[in-house]
Amino acid sequence: MLALDVQNVNKKFDRFQLKNVSFQLEKGYIMGFIGANGAGKTTTIKSILNMTRLDSGDVRILGKRMADHELELKQAIGCAFGDVDFYTRSKISKLTEVIKTFYKNWDDETYYAYLKRFKLDENKKIAELSTGMKVKYNLAVALSHGAKLLVLDEPTSGLDPVARDDLLDIFQSLVAGGEISILFSTHITSDLEKCADFITYIDNGQIIDSADKEEFKASYRLLNGKESELDQVRSKLISYRVNSFGFTGLIRAKDFDPDSGIRSALPSLEEIMVYYAKKEEAHV
Amino acid sequence: MYNLLLKDFKLGVNPWFLAMPVLTGALMLVPGWIYFLVLLYFCWITIPNVFASFRSQNDLLFTSMMPVTRKDMVKARMLVIVGLELLHVAFAVIFGAINRLLYPDFVYYFFAPTLGFLGLCLVMLAIFNVVFFPIYYKTAYKHGNAAIASISAAMLFAAVTQWAGIASADVSRVINDTGTGHLAWQTSVLVAGIAIFAALTILAYRMAIRQFQKVEL
Repeated sequence: MLALDVQNVNKKFDRFQLKNVSFQLEKGYIMGFIGANGAGKTTTIKSILNMTRLDSGDVRILGKRMADHELELKQAIGCAFGDVDFYTRSKISKLTEVIKTFYKNWDDETYYAYLKRFKLDENKKIAELSTGMKVKYNLAVALSHGAKLLVLDEPTSGLDPVARDDLLDIFQSLVAGGEISILFSTHITSDLEKCADFITYIDNGQIIDSADKEEFKASYRLLNGKESELDQVRSKLISYRVNSFGFTGLIRAKDFDPDSGIRSALPSLEEIMVYYAKKEEAHV
Repeated sequence: MYNLLLKDFKLGVNPWFLAMPVLTGALMLVPGWIYFLVLLYFCWITIPNVFASFRSQNDLLFTSMMPVTRKDMVKARMLVIVGLELLHVAFAVIFGAINRLLYPDFVYYFFAPTLGFLGLCLVMLAIFNVVFFPIYYKTAYKHGNAAIASISAAMLFAAVTQWAGIASADVSRVINDTGTGHLAWQTSVLVAGIAIFAALTILAYRMAIRQFQKVEL
């Protein structure tokens, strides 16, 4: 069953546009939503949550259209925007007291169990929490109202490596039961190397690819060749850079002939992102 | 709806603003003052502060993440503000009655705290509402322009009406009569004030919803 099904979403702004954004997330998996700053990650997430009016397209969550069942589905969604704080001068206990009135399936027992697990002190104010603790608080709230889909916008941004690692472990333990699915956007690709099952890559408002992580990486090759070999592949390269040793460039695996003699390797997610960004620069 | 009201009163509206109606209402005890100012303090102090607090705490995004409709978001917020307005009016009425007891023979140059004046106050707040909410809900967070326009409109109404009360002996006689001589007229002004307040506030609500449906959060 699909936890999230985004189909041909289009949304035009003055200087930016989401173009035919489509991807699917299977129930019980983690999908990393990657792209450079300004690529359209947050706009896509806001479109999923019906915060932005779509020009066209369809978003289905747990099999139901978001546009028709927004209230019902929001009961089953937990979301967090990593860089936005709410009511920071309020204590956790006070904020929770308000939030829980919005959810039919709120479970105090689960909530306190997560507070304990995440070592959150109810008497602390939101402003007193570290960035990582704020994300954990959001997770505790989402899980206490029985959220089946967690939509998290840059939850790991601003966290130190230890806190990030801790959070990624939590994500993996949450999906282990097969009931909860997570879509999280990030530009920190190492997070995804560690815990994502699927990758959706957005660039300039368009989905470049959405696939199983290994399959995604395997669909590209990073080439390392002499400058004299560049002409053989130049037209097929997504982008490349030339240095005193030759050139390095990214190419789709299907466009690369392994018998060409050019050295190739599997790129990391970061390298894929960087070379796509270079392609954009070249077009500007 | 209850959850949205609870949110605003527990997190958004500082309890100080629930005490403000008593403090500003007590200004009705100043003999012979321009009593329109008592309710204008609500527009000058409470409105900018409450909406600045909602904005600085990212209330719009916070509320949008909750399972609530946009219509209910507008309805709850307007109930909170209109509730505060009526609380200000209620305390102004209480202190206005005390004023009449304290100074039974006072000759009022500006409007006296009478039923007729109360009707005019409600019209002033109705004008504030019908200008403020539709402009505010064009963004649902920028309150500056909405406040300037609505407060200017309310003050203009107060100034023109008060000027009419000074310039016209008839208006002054009807509104400032602290006896029972013009009770029927005053009651009519009050009833008209209540009707205009209700009608313009409902109109403001409908216009605000229409604006808010178009907002990209």
